[in-house]
Amino acid sequence: MTAAPGAVLERLPATTKLAALFCISVLLFLTTSPSLLGAAAGAILVACLLLCREALVQWLKAWPLLLTIGIFALWKAFADGYHEALVLLLRLGTLSLVATVVTVTTSIRQFIDTITRLARPLEKLGIGNAHDIGLAIGLVMRLIPDVRQRYLAVVDAHRARGLPLRPSTLFVPMIIGMLKGADDMANAIDARGIRADTRTEKKVGHG
Amino acid sequence: MDSKSLVLVALFTAIIVVLGLIPPIMVAVIPVPIHAQSLGVLLAGIVLGARHGALSVLLLIALVAIGLPVLSGGRGGLSVFLSPTAGYLLGYLPAAWMTGWAADRVHDLPIRGWKVLAGLLAAAILGVLITHVVGIAWLIAYVGLSPLEAIVGDLIFVPGDLVKAALAAYVGRIIHENFGRRLIAS
Repeated sequence: MTAAPGAVLERLPATTKLAALFCISVLLFLTTSPSLLGAAAGAILVACLLLCREALVQWLKAWPLLLTIGIFALWKAFADGYHEALVLLLRLGTLSLVATVVTVTTSIRQFIDTITRLARPLEKLGIGNAHDIGLAIGLVMRLIPDVRQRYLAVVDAHRARGLPLRPSTLFVPMIIGMLKGADDMANAIDARGIRADTRTEKKVGHG
Repeated sequence: MDSKSLVLVALFTAIIVVLGLIPPIMVAVIPVPIHAQSLGVLLAGIVLGARHGALSVLLLIALVAIGLPVLSGGRGGLSVFLSPTAGYLLGYLPAAWMTGWAADRVHDLPIRGWKVLAGLLAAAILGVLITHVVGIAWLIAYVGLSPLEAIVGDLIFVPGDLVKAALAAYVGRIIHENFGRRLIAS
């Protein structure tokens, strides 16, 4: 059984793809010739059609970004002429597509591993713990529904009392409630020994 | 960093994400929708301080980079960093740091009441300024706008952000009164 063509991109290491994205963005900014940029855009578009159609779909789905680029291009056309506008449109359009390809073909797991690896030197310098990055990302995922729930609860409390929804009476109970919950969550993390290797550091930290 | 700090950093990242999800709230005084993740960024700086506030934003940037749709309008992925308005996202990082730094200085001063509020407001406005400066710099360097164009385009968003700065200062003062200054033991 042969693998899907896009799998070639998926098997590449994330660092390689990120480096390629960086190189392409530098290259696209080196030239101001619309024909060169157009050729690059066309080549990448064809490559996407052949190798990674999913990226093309995701790129089109991110239409607010494309709209932003369009608005800037329109302004450029108005202010500096069509040549400048075309350069901007081709450059940013191509770059956003290439970036989408990297995002689509790299799993979140791979990204977290890459970030953790890149953070190792920082760990050696004593700034944080590289393994905390994965934990922190997981915590955010876990907390987003909580924050949303608390927001809705405070909105309901306003409604029950017939109060208008004002930012001042909304954010304070929301954040204070969450801050109280943070203690329990920290205790749960320590009780389960998830960050066992940092326990000594913690003792020092509390002095 | 102890576990409590880690949870608080993640909590404020989650708050910034949720602020991008909830429907905009109209502020009575000025017809500007508070639909703003930048409010969460200022709050992270004011409540958590320089280091942890900046870490909270760094975590947000990491979530964007790994492709999660955490920015308002469900935006996410590496293409965000190559968009014309990426400067505003990158500007959140120094903004949270500087707002946190200034808020820490305010809490060190022997002042109370409205003076604390004024100090925190100044800290939040500093953060807003930094966000806009980085955003404008990106528009000039990356999109190729002239400085005048970039600044004029940017000014539309300044009133809304100033309202958010006032809100962040207000919330920050109340949280400070309730929780005291050492929210994070570090």
